[in-house]
Amino acid sequence: MTFRQGQKVEIFQRSTDESWEDYMEAFIGLHGIITDPDVSKNDPDALIEVSLDEKGTHRLPQDCLRIIEQ
Amino acid sequence: MDSQTCSVKKLHDQIEQTLNNGSLSHPRCRQRATEIFDLVHDVSQGLAGDDHFDSILELAQNLVDEGLTPACRELGEHVAAFVDQHQEEFISHIRTHTCPTGRCPMLTPAPCQMACPAGIDIPSYVTLVGQGKYAEAISVIRRDNPFPWVCGLVCTHPCEFMCVRGRMDKSIAIMDLKGFAAEKAMSAQSYQNPEPGPDNGRKICIIGGGPGGLTAAYYLALRGYRVTVIEALPVAGGMMMVGIPRYRLPREVIDREVAMIESLGVEIRLNTRLGKDVTIESLRSEGFEGFLLAIGAHGSYKLMIPGEDDYEGVIPAVSFLRRVSLGDHRRPGKKVAVVGGGNVAIDAARTCLRLGCERVTILYRRTHDQMPAHHEEVVEAEEEGVSFSYLTIPKQVQGADGRATGIVCVRAELSEPDGSGRRRPVPVEGSEHVIEADVIIPAIGQEIRPQGLEAFEEVDWTRRNTIRVHTVTMQTNQQGVFAVGDAVTGPATVVEAIAGGKKAASAIHRHFEGIAQPALPRVPVRRRRLPHFDLPASLKTDLDRPKMHQLSNDRRRITFQQVHLGFNEQQAHEESKRCLRCDICIRCGRCVEICRDKMGIEALCLGYLDFDTPGPTDLRITAERCIACGACATNCPTGAMQMTDRDGYRELSLCGTVLNRLQLEYCEVCGAVLGPARYHDYIVKRVRDVSPTSNGRRICLECARRQSGGQHAEITPPPR
Repeated sequence: MTFRQGQKVEIFQRSTDESWEDYMEAFIGLHGIITDPDVSKNDPDALIEVSLDEKGTHRLPQDCLRIIEQ
Repeated sequence: MDSQTCSVKKLHDQIEQTLNNGSLSHPRCRQRATEIFDLVHDVSQGLAGDDHFDSILELAQNLVDEGLTPACRELGEHVAAFVDQHQEEFISHIRTHTCPTGRCPMLTPAPCQMACPAGIDIPSYVTLVGQGKYAEAISVIRRDNPFPWVCGLVCTHPCEFMCVRGRMDKSIAIMDLKGFAAEKAMSAQSYQNPEPGPDNGRKICIIGGGPGGLTAAYYLALRGYRVTVIEALPVAGGMMMVGIPRYRLPREVIDREVAMIESLGVEIRLNTRLGKDVTIESLRSEGFEGFLLAIGAHGSYKLMIPGEDDYEGVIPAVSFLRRVSLGDHRRPGKKVAVVGGGNVAIDAARTCLRLGCERVTILYRRTHDQMPAHHEEVVEAEEEGVSFSYLTIPKQVQGADGRATGIVCVRAELSEPDGSGRRRPVPVEGSEHVIEADVIIPAIGQEIRPQGLEAFEEVDWTRRNTIRVHTVTMQTNQQGVFAVGDAVTGPATVVEAIAGGKKAASAIHRHFEGIAQPALPRVPVRRRRLPHFDLPASLKTDLDRPKMHQLSNDRRRITFQQVHLGFNEQQAHEESKRCLRCDICIRCGRCVEICRDKMGIEALCLGYLDFDTPGPTDLRITAERCIACGACATNCPTGAMQMTDRDGYRELSLCGTVLNRLQLEYCEVCGAVLGPARYHDYIVKRVRDVSPTSNGRRICLECARRQSGGQHAEITPPPR
């Protein structure tokens, strides 16, 4: 899945990526907006920046995200 | 709103319940409990000082020690244990005046502030800009970010994506207001450093003078540390200086803000590379006790195609931009092919145009829609004359006499979405073609060059070849060694590096002071509580986000002058007045519910309140329907909705936006305020069946009662 700036996403599951940290468990189920996708090459493995509703901005692996609104 | 539990609010409610249920029968015990309740209430309202925490514990202990009744002792023990268990949350409420769960209404941060990686108190500085207090605005910003001017020009502004006004029409131009304030304050020489703390004698070495390293240097210097920054390049600023072209971020802007950091006593050693000019041993022998690795990601990915290393004229984008930034303004060639679809590719292409290249083409293997570069960057590149060749895959660099002459490409088409939903570019057979180019600039990604860091033997690396840290503290596996910026995140944004630098400075301080490190991300701090602007709903609605003036296209193609020319003062002031002040209104929606469900009026059309499914918003409709009953204001938990009587009118306002203004009526008998006619009519209609006494007259309840009593007195009982 390719993420673009401004898309609404949900953190629908925990990531299996090594960059996933314990405190991120509390983000599961939250909605947010992609604010800085991978701006170099659309790499599905890149960490991308998401602003979560009421929970701040974080760089997260893509396998925990799904698009809920284009 | 978030339904997470806030410990402060939970204790607040528990004590309130205990006070109300009558279990505390002893008067002194009730008094102590009330005092504890008041203190916890202060914490939940953002009114607490540093002594509140200890005072709560002390009072709880008194309840236990006095042991007046079992219930008293039980309450004391509970409060002491609870506060101790949730110590960090209580202290966080007291120090940051913020409750991230949203359960303490007065402390709920605005979405823009929560979204800012650096946690800048955006509503406060936006308001200060509107008041014309630019130096104060900069001082608020620099509590969380020492580069307001840089970020006012090149921030990726996640805050604007979360801006609540954006759900209504267009988000506030938060970034541009920051740039405006910084320019004004710097120009007026009112851009000042705060007073640093006393020298604590500890020496910290920061490897890399980019935004992350310099931010950490700033906050450490303010805490009294002696900071030295080791920088391999001949200039400070890192990627801000050598990665972002001058037409987006003038060098003077970086120079001025770096100079502010240096003036705090931070030493920056330029042209000094770790592992070559200095070693970890030599630095330790100089007395450095802590290290922060902030080396950035200055390496480029290669195209991995034949001919790439064989010809002159193939220049990685990062090297090319660095060369130009450091003063080499020679034209690299006539015909340029930039490979990649990201922001760096766009920067390289636009830089080539400014250096006089005749034709600049960006080759991207996917479609326009899938370009990872920011949309506005792509549009500006197109305006300036950069060509784009989409669905184009480079296969080989061609050359003659040792110099590149072209790039062999194949056309591509996108496959059907795969399991992950991605459509991959698939080469079209027989579509090989040559694009003439004497300069080929690969811009397909950056990587970290770890040379020199081998000395930090315990520092762990991720599979992405970035430094592994705990992202809450930026602490690496090696004791006393921290890391920030692109070296940790991979190529990311300036504001993320700044946020990392601030976190690292705090963690380094805690490390040396022996204070426990936080386990959860920092909560942003509310710096000010400022009054809102008063303006009519129609004006609030009609104000549009100003369009920023740009340099003429001709000038853009031939110079490195700044493209975005900034707001003028009037634009900045008007823009700040568009802010909905979400630091005051927490969007709980209680006002809308009361008006619609309890009063049956439905005068508030505030669709922007909902993040997931925002509905239509019309601030002007309230004036048509509202009866000015005040139910919304009475039930507002933060005082955002207010109803006031002044100059013969009753006014309903939301964070200063006047939603309704109705003329007041007065009692015909005693002259007391009756409220507006619409309200009076509503009440009369509701009570006419039970109390028809007013007979159409405008009289207050008191007089109506008196009149009714008189009527009863005149009634003659029927004869028996």
